Amino acid sequence: MIGCVIALSTVFCSACSSLGVKPWQRELLSRQDMRLDGNGLDDAIDDHVYFSKEASSGGRSFAGGGCGCN
Amino acid sequence: MQLEADTAGLRRRLIAASCALLSAATARSEETSVPEKLGRLLENWQIQSAVAYYHEDGRIQAIEPVVSAARETSDGGKIDLNFTFDSLSGSSPNGASPSRAAQTFASPSAKSFDAARHTYTVGPGRLPVDPNYSDARAAGGANWTFNLSRLTQATVGGKFSYEDDFYSATVNASIDHSFNDKNTTVSLGVSSENDFLQPIGGAPVPLSDYTLFEKGGHKSKRGEGLLLGLTQVMTRSWLTQANVSLDRFSGYLNDPYKIISVIDGTGNPVSYVYENRPDSRTRRSAYLENRVAWQRSSVALSLRYMTDTWGVRSDTAQVRLRWWNAARDQYLEPSVRWYRQSAADFYRPWIVNNEAQGPDASADSRLAAFHALTYGVKYGIKLNDRLGWFAREGTEFNLRLEYYQQTIQDGPAGPGALSGLNLYPGLKAILFQFGFSY
Repeated sequence: MIGCVIALSTVFCSACSSLGVKPWQRELLSRQDMRLDGNGLDDAIDDHVYFSKEASSGGRSFAGGGCGCN
Repeated sequence: MQLEADTAGLRRRLIAASCALLSAATARSEETSVPEKLGRLLENWQIQSAVAYYHEDGRIQAIEPVVSAARETSDGGKIDLNFTFDSLSGSSPNGASPSRAAQTFASPSAKSFDAARHTYTVGPGRLPVDPNYSDARAAGGANWTFNLSRLTQATVGGKFSYEDDFYSATVNASIDHSFNDKNTTVSLGVSSENDFLQPIGGAPVPLSDYTLFEKGGHKSKRGEGLLLGLTQVMTRSWLTQANVSLDRFSGYLNDPYKIISVIDGTGNPVSYVYENRPDSRTRRSAYLENRVAWQRSSVALSLRYMTDTWGVRSDTAQVRLRWWNAARDQYLEPSVRWYRQSAADFYRPWIVNNEAQGPDASADSRLAAFHALTYGVKYGIKLNDRLGWFAREGTEFNLRLEYYQQTIQDGPAGPGALSGLNLYPGLKAILFQFGFSY
């Protein structure tokens, strides 16, 4: 599975050069709700709840929990 | 001569004026108010804070204040600090199955069943929960991001967590490199976590009879993680991120407070044993997030697939929509999250007496097959100039409400006396959060 994702990422990367915008076209992208960490504390609080109630964690960031709850 | 006299007079007047200005400035600085001092102290910091109240139907409740502070450094890097405190109390499932008869259990700190204050009794047909559960956790972390070159940044950090029966220390490092006019960023991160467990009453001998109180000693586990990420600006309003990650934990991975009912052929419990899980676990996950913006709205969609060596496979999908008002100072953000997981290979809601079984077994419902739904809504208002001297661009107050429902599926039917009982009650919870960003 990891291999497939890396292969897809490589293909994706090769197409990257035709994607993107110029610096002066980033008005919408610079908004707080477009930042990948824009949900800050909401994500931290939710991740802690899900870590303690489910068998999965991580994905967006590392999987460790630093919590004895699971 | 006249010119020299005029110059000397002018010098005296200038000195007098400077002294007056300096003394006035000194007087003003002495009169600086506490709010002004606080404002200057926070001038370069972005502060986010929240208090969350979490309540499960008939089980745990928790209150969790969180604060984070971040500031940019002079070289374009960033320092990020965060602190969390959790306080939990209520009733926690101990792993045993419901029964037709009342069941009596010992609290984790008990050394025998003799001391009544260390026991609790669960009524017929009820899910066994320890009603005296309580815990508190304090955790803090820091990250420092700095530039290695114009297009490459590195981040190093760590976090520490403390509970009465658990300590955890994690260090992490990552490197990001941008290219294609900074429209593409690749990142590579590693982390290392060390946990130390001091279970209340001691760590039980795995699969030992619950009534023998064979407990003692401390335990530890460690984990390493690897994360590879790609972020791509697709268009002026579309951003996408793809991550793959691999992590491995090894050591003591049991829950020291979870037991399993041992039942006879009629479905009645004859004893209880402590659970046992494999001593290593490797997880692989793939994560994809897309964010798209319009003038007064945006959407964030994330998908995750995870699989591990315990036989758990899970799928997660989450969508958040945000709508702004015309003045762009208030927003509403509904969200939905869907999650499902398969059961761990060694998940056993009970063990049948004298029946052959593998070395690992756990009745922890978090390892069962289930699906979960979360519905949420958040309201935020930008305060900006509504706070007088405290006013600052980006100041925000927000409220968030979430409802979480977990439904166990495909659990085996209970034999004999267990038939007809609600063996898999699932979980319902609400979360209410108040937040303030400055």
